[in-house]
Amino acid sequence: MNDFNDFIVVYSAEIVRRIKSRPFQIGLILGLLAIFAFTRMNGLLNSGFNDNNARIVLAGSAALTTPARKALSRDFRIVNVQTSAAAPTVTTLKRLDASLQVAIGRDAKGLDLAIYALKPNSNATGTIVHDLRPLNVALGTGVSASKADQLVNIRSKTRTVSAKFGSSGQAAAAFGVGSALIFFLYLLILINSQIVMSSVAEEKTSRIAELLVASISPAPLLYGKIASAATLGVIQMAIWVAFSLFTGGHPAQGDASLGTGLDMSALLNGTITPTVLISFFVLFVLGFLQFSMMFAGMGSLISRTEDLGSVSLPLALPVIAALLISMGALGAPDAPWAVAISFVPVLSPFVLFARIVMSEVPMWQILISVALNIAAAWAIAVLAGKLYRVGMLLYGRAPSLGQVWHVLRS
Amino acid sequence: MLAIDHVHKEFGKVRAVQDVSFRVDDGVTFGLIGPNGAGKTTTMRMILGILTPDGGSIAWNGKPVDGSMRRRCGYLPEERGLYAKMKVSEQIAFFGRLHGLVEPEITKRTDAWIERLGIGQYADRPCSELSKGNQQKVQVACAAVHDPELLVLDEAFSGLDPVNADMLLNILNELKAQGTTLILSSHQMWQLEALCSRFCIISAGENRASGTLDELRAAWPTRILRVAPGSSAVRAMLERVEGAFFVADNDGRFDYSLPANTDFAATLRSLVGVEAVTSFEVIEPSLHDIYIRASEQVPA
Repeated sequence: MNDFNDFIVVYSAEIVRRIKSRPFQIGLILGLLAIFAFTRMNGLLNSGFNDNNARIVLAGSAALTTPARKALSRDFRIVNVQTSAAAPTVTTLKRLDASLQVAIGRDAKGLDLAIYALKPNSNATGTIVHDLRPLNVALGTGVSASKADQLVNIRSKTRTVSAKFGSSGQAAAAFGVGSALIFFLYLLILINSQIVMSSVAEEKTSRIAELLVASISPAPLLYGKIASAATLGVIQMAIWVAFSLFTGGHPAQGDASLGTGLDMSALLNGTITPTVLISFFVLFVLGFLQFSMMFAGMGSLISRTEDLGSVSLPLALPVIAALLISMGALGAPDAPWAVAISFVPVLSPFVLFARIVMSEVPMWQILISVALNIAAAWAIAVLAGKLYRVGMLLYGRAPSLGQVWHVLRS
Repeated sequence: MLAIDHVHKEFGKVRAVQDVSFRVDDGVTFGLIGPNGAGKTTTMRMILGILTPDGGSIAWNGKPVDGSMRRRCGYLPEERGLYAKMKVSEQIAFFGRLHGLVEPEITKRTDAWIERLGIGQYADRPCSELSKGNQQKVQVACAAVHDPELLVLDEAFSGLDPVNADMLLNILNELKAQGTTLILSSHQMWQLEALCSRFCIISAGENRASGTLDELRAAWPTRILRVAPGSSAVRAMLERVEGAFFVADNDGRFDYSLPANTDFAATLRSLVGVEAVTSFEVIEPSLHDIYIRASEQVPA
């Protein structure tokens, strides 16, 4: 009972201490800014790199520009139509706020386009050619524009046979959302585990550790610290998700330069299911528990904050490996290697999550993986607890690997 | 009562504590003395349940020491610190909570300790902004805010300036008057001599001597006799006492080491017979002398 009370005291004190700490506040704000930037990326890409929605000037005879205008309006804004097909100057295009001029001519071989682009990297040419292809056929064959359109554009629709997704678009969206969530999972686990490690190291280096372990047993001290970090990680995650839904669903109004923004609510529809959300939460907790305890145990062995980097780097490697493997698993969720790795504790929170997002993972596989992760978390907790109990009272030269092994075996 | 019986502790091949035993009665202020590396800190950590002895037993009021004991104890370790960014009042309250205090008792005791230590103006400031002396005051408050039955202070006076050492001495005297059992280690023998009623001297992890200062002195084999004038007649007379030997000449006064069981009254009478003695003083060994001698003893 005393241990539980001690756990609660440490847990609440750590929550307050961390909420007030600058790294937490800065991390939260940086996350919000990153999400804001991400949700606006679609608009930024449209305005900066993709000129399919560009404003264009059409030049040529009315007989050609009139049907061309209709064909191009699907993908471009026609800001001016003129008869002079002469090459425009930069000033002319800028005055019209246009990025392209399409001069349309015709000879015996068909339509002859001269495209003048303000930006050398314009990628609109293909779209313009695609849009004008039916007109070219209509003019060459004499069939109606609508008939030419039918002849040129073959109707096609991709229908997935996967039970998971109703369309290939949804699968593509799930891949994108899955990648983002796995990266999010990686950041949450790594950052919060490192915060736990810093907190342990701070107590060690500020020499308050011995005062603490004289007051309460090390177990509630360690687990209270980890539980508070997990709670704040979940809170941080909830704030970020709510913010991304809010900003993604409500693109900035009246700012054409930012584009339309990423329609997050539409994107999430059908991809972020309750199963995905619950598994994200459960796997975050399982992954965080395993990594944070490893970080805390090792953090208790150092006596100087300068040593934090050298200890945390080897521990970060499995997290990075798990991230990379899970990115591969998104593309091949049912590959034998992906199925096998989703049973390997430490790595599986990431890999299993990738598979859950992209595939119909059998429930027995999920349950076995979760059970193995719980068992691993328990084993790591026991070992980290041993290291922590000894490490908190250890000052001076860092212990050798042999000494660490001796402690773990004791 | 705290009973420590034949306790030993090893770290790998290092024997930190070997067969240490002593008793500390309730309300007693106990000095645990020994050179660096003698095993004092390990013994204190075992008393508090931070370390588990490899052998022997430690009991508080007849019950083995366990985790629940921590709430009734206070500890001021040699290597001590504070949460740098936590406010002074929050820090003291946090340690009160860790020792089972609840509101409104926490606030009441925190305020009382802040007032007692004269650090009211810093109560809402982060500890990192305090001077070292004031930080040490906060550390004492953290260790004692819950009114522990047993307060263990490792190298209590280490790093304190004379003003803060006096402050701590006063606080410890107050706690002693309240009936708190205190266990102290320090290299400042005069402070221990002023505070403690019982002592245990350990060296190389072993008990070397224990008891009250009188008991320790009683076991001391010699006394220093300081006599004036330092004349040849006095010298000749003292040289005849069995086991006596000359120690020093202090401005015309002789210091002689004599066996503790010497009949000093008879010696004085003999001296008066040969010389017009102006000063005759038998000097008891100080705690410092006893400590130095006990520490240097080769273990049997």
